Amino acid sequence: MNLLLFIGRRLLFIAPQLLGIVLVSFMLVKSIPGDPAVLMLGPTATPEAIASLRNSLGLDYSLPVQFWIYLQHLALGDLGTSWQTTRPVLEDLLQRFPATLELVTLGLLTAVVIGISLGLASAFNRHGVLARIADFYGLGAGSLPDFWLALVLIFVFYTLLQWVPAPLGRIDIAVIPPNPITGFLTVDCLLTGNWEALRSALGHLLLPVMTLGLINAGPILKMTQSTMEKILQSDFSHYQVLCGIPHRMVVRHALHNALPSVVTIISVLYGYLIGGAVLVEIVFSWGGAGQYAVQGVLNSDLYPVLGFVLFSAIFSLFVYLFVDIIYFTIDPRIGH
Amino acid sequence: MHAPVAPGLLPGRAAALKITGLRVEFPTITGQSKVVVRDLDLAIGAGEIVGLVGESGAGKTTLTRSILNLTPTPGRIAAGSVCFGGLDLLRLPERDLQRMRGRDLSVVVPNPRGELNPLLTVGKQIVNIARVHLNLDGKAAQVVALDMLRAVQIPDPERRMKAYPHELSGGMAQRVVIAIALVCSPRFIISDDATSGLDVTVQAQILALLRQLVRERDSAMLFITRDVGIAAHFCDRVAVIYQGEIMELAPCEALFLSPRHPYTAMLLAAFSHNPRLRRGWSGPDTAPRQDGTQPGCVYAGRCPRAQPLCVGSKPVLGEVTPGHWARCYFPLETA
Amino acid sequence: MVPQFSALLRSVGHVARVRPRFAIGYGIVVATLLAALLAPLVAPYSPIEANPAQFLQSPDWHHLFGTDAVGMDVFSRTVYAPRIDLTIAIAGTLISAVVGSVIGALVGYYSSGRGVRVWLAYGVMRAADVLQAFPVFVFAIALVASLGQSIQTVVLAIAFVNAPIYLRLMRSQVISIREMRYVEASLVAGLSDMRTIFRHIVPNAIGPVLAQLSVNVGWAILLTAGLSFVGAGVRAPAPEWGSMIAMGFQNVVTGQWWPSVFPGLALAVSVFGFSLVGLSIEVFADPVKRRGLLRDMETARKANGARATRTVAGVGP
Repeated sequence: MNLLLFIGRRLLFIAPQLLGIVLVSFMLVKSIPGDPAVLMLGPTATPEAIASLRNSLGLDYSLPVQFWIYLQHLALGDLGTSWQTTRPVLEDLLQRFPATLELVTLGLLTAVVIGISLGLASAFNRHGVLARIADFYGLGAGSLPDFWLALVLIFVFYTLLQWVPAPLGRIDIAVIPPNPITGFLTVDCLLTGNWEALRSALGHLLLPVMTLGLINAGPILKMTQSTMEKILQSDFSHYQVLCGIPHRMVVRHALHNALPSVVTIISVLYGYLIGGAVLVEIVFSWGGAGQYAVQGVLNSDLYPVLGFVLFSAIFSLFVYLFVDIIYFTIDPRIGH
Repeated sequence: MHAPVAPGLLPGRAAALKITGLRVEFPTITGQSKVVVRDLDLAIGAGEIVGLVGESGAGKTTLTRSILNLTPTPGRIAAGSVCFGGLDLLRLPERDLQRMRGRDLSVVVPNPRGELNPLLTVGKQIVNIARVHLNLDGKAAQVVALDMLRAVQIPDPERRMKAYPHELSGGMAQRVVIAIALVCSPRFIISDDATSGLDVTVQAQILALLRQLVRERDSAMLFITRDVGIAAHFCDRVAVIYQGEIMELAPCEALFLSPRHPYTAMLLAAFSHNPRLRRGWSGPDTAPRQDGTQPGCVYAGRCPRAQPLCVGSKPVLGEVTPGHWARCYFPLETA
Repeated sequence: MVPQFSALLRSVGHVARVRPRFAIGYGIVVATLLAALLAPLVAPYSPIEANPAQFLQSPDWHHLFGTDAVGMDVFSRTVYAPRIDLTIAIAGTLISAVVGSVIGALVGYYSSGRGVRVWLAYGVMRAADVLQAFPVFVFAIALVASLGQSIQTVVLAIAFVNAPIYLRLMRSQVISIREMRYVEASLVAGLSDMRTIFRHIVPNAIGPVLAQLSVNVGWAILLTAGLSFVGAGVRAPAPEWGSMIAMGFQNVVTGQWWPSVFPGLALAVSVFGFSLVGLSIEVFADPVKRRGLLRDMETARKANGARATRTVAGVGP
């Protein structure tokens, strides 16, 4: 009951926020110098051709009118057309977003496994070897540029060892990918029982997922460590020690209390990575949504950028909503 | 160097807990260490309630934690022993001591709402203790916990079992903490300023309850407080602590009717309504705190009766009259 | 004065022995700053002149880090790079900290009560929500693209995406401090809102902001390099770590690792240094963590003392 009220109140704020996001990105991309009509037709175009294209693209209207037109189209589910791919942005995104999502989700899962297990190991034994490794790792991981780590991994595992396929895309060119059902290659392969494609897809996933996992384990580890440390130093943990509760149990209760912060950092990372994994996407020629948006920005291609920003904003909102529901079930104090 | 016998056990009583020569130090950034509890001797008999009175910063909480070998960081126990049931708690392996905490020795803490796990129900937290220390299964522990909540006179205990700490009032939470402390019928209980921050009426109820439960179970108790009045009503004997040293130790009546140490007299005067007493003893506390590296009495700087001897060398805790101990070269005459 | 200074020095020495990582952090930061200042003295070659005859040479004594695809000396470029990277990162971080903190202090101070300013404060917070809901990287690239590619615009983009962090940090600090008695006292004494905020509230709220600064410089370096990596930041041939990594990208795949690996390593090490310095500030500013440090110093000292007295103790009865 309370939960529904809680979610309802959250949803109420989403519409104006989305509008604000679309407005800001619209103004921003519009202010990038470069005339799409000129870019589309190339340097040999006649002035008349450019003028007629500008007209048909609606570029002659004032900015507010253009924005209004965009909103009207948006309401009908039309995200516009990319002049680079000459396809509707919605179609492009539906194809590319799952690629990014698959990469980011697996990367984040890896990060969670590394981060939380190291964080817990160091909380159980503050002066053990694992705690020292965790300390160093937590400090170091956040300092590595992801695109550089990706390059180093490629050098070691592709160039030197030849263990993984060339860092080009999601699947070998020679392998026929399964028909998209969910858009997630691995899931589609499993659904269609296409084992050859699955092998290839997993091989291509390995390095980018490792890159994202190794780097993003840093913040998760740090959050786990620092929250656990804070809670283990808190009054109620001291009290449990005073009461003779075994160390393992004290740590377990502390973990229960640390969960909200850890879940928060994971969700923040999830939201961030949708756009933040773009450098890794570029290194591996992933063809994901982030790469699509960056290409859009660099080429004054408005609609892909807007579409991507919208997609990722909505995605983050859902992640945060999900987190709130988790909070609600963990902490009895929320909602009372 | 120390008093040959632990000061002031009443004749014929066996000590439930005996602290000898306890010294706790805290390091400072400059490299010297600050002594917070200095060469402290104290014995507490079974069935006895001993009060420990002192102003804040006197080392009361550090002492309680050190008895359980849980000195707050970064402090450390530099010397001394704590004998309990034939064991020296400070030299016991952590595993064994952990089993004894909460079962044989327990602490009633102040500000209980911050001390309880906010994510677990009250019942669960008591059940946890019972299961850990008494090796009970879930059902039996449930019964024990419910009985304990009844014993601390919580109204509607079945419902309170399912309550979360944030749903309790301060007095109610204090009762829960007492229930947690007593659920294993420990032989020694430390009450660390347990009633500070409660309404006076609630305070009285809780103290009465605590005393009744201690007497019923014949446990020993160290009762720490800043409130001289409460100590006077509640304890069998009272120790006055200043700067980590016991200044005076005496049966309750003797201490309050005829204090022998000037610091005790000042402390009592501060709580007194007698204008003559107050005028005689209160003055601004402007003397610099001594850090114990000086040779003399730690109270010499504030003491109106200080003589050159007091600054030059440190007095020992000596028996002034039978059972009445004071750390002073020039104890007050009996009134 | 002098004995105090030497005591301070001794304390620094003690801390460095117990937490060598802090010493390492400060060492790295100083070294990076020195590299930026003294680059012309350290670098054996020009950072932007190519020698086409010597392209992709592997590291040797003439070219410590080898040469890149057009024949520029990787070592010289790596040494020169902090001039650009640090300037951008520090400038961007400082701007975002100052602007974010000032707005955050005002917003925090006017976050409750009534009147136009409260509504304004609310509006600012919702605007910050919107900015933070953006994918950071795409946002930064779009900013640089729209303002025109130059060092100044990269600085602005970094300042812009980081400002909400300081805004929130300062706001939450100020909200808790404005309830304090001394704030009330200052208002009762007749000081204006502005004087109260900047004389009494901000100095007490600044701690966490300072701890954040150093960490944020590290992030800003990463962001700068990332922008340059996709071609939206500093343009080649200007020596900058990110664009150097990008230039060497194709060579790594074919086995010439040095044009990319060395600048990346330098980048990672300097970011590491800045986050260590941030960590040390956090420890010094937080009483709980400071206590942990003190305890470790004590244990270390005791271990030292034990070693020193062991020989003496052997003579005893």
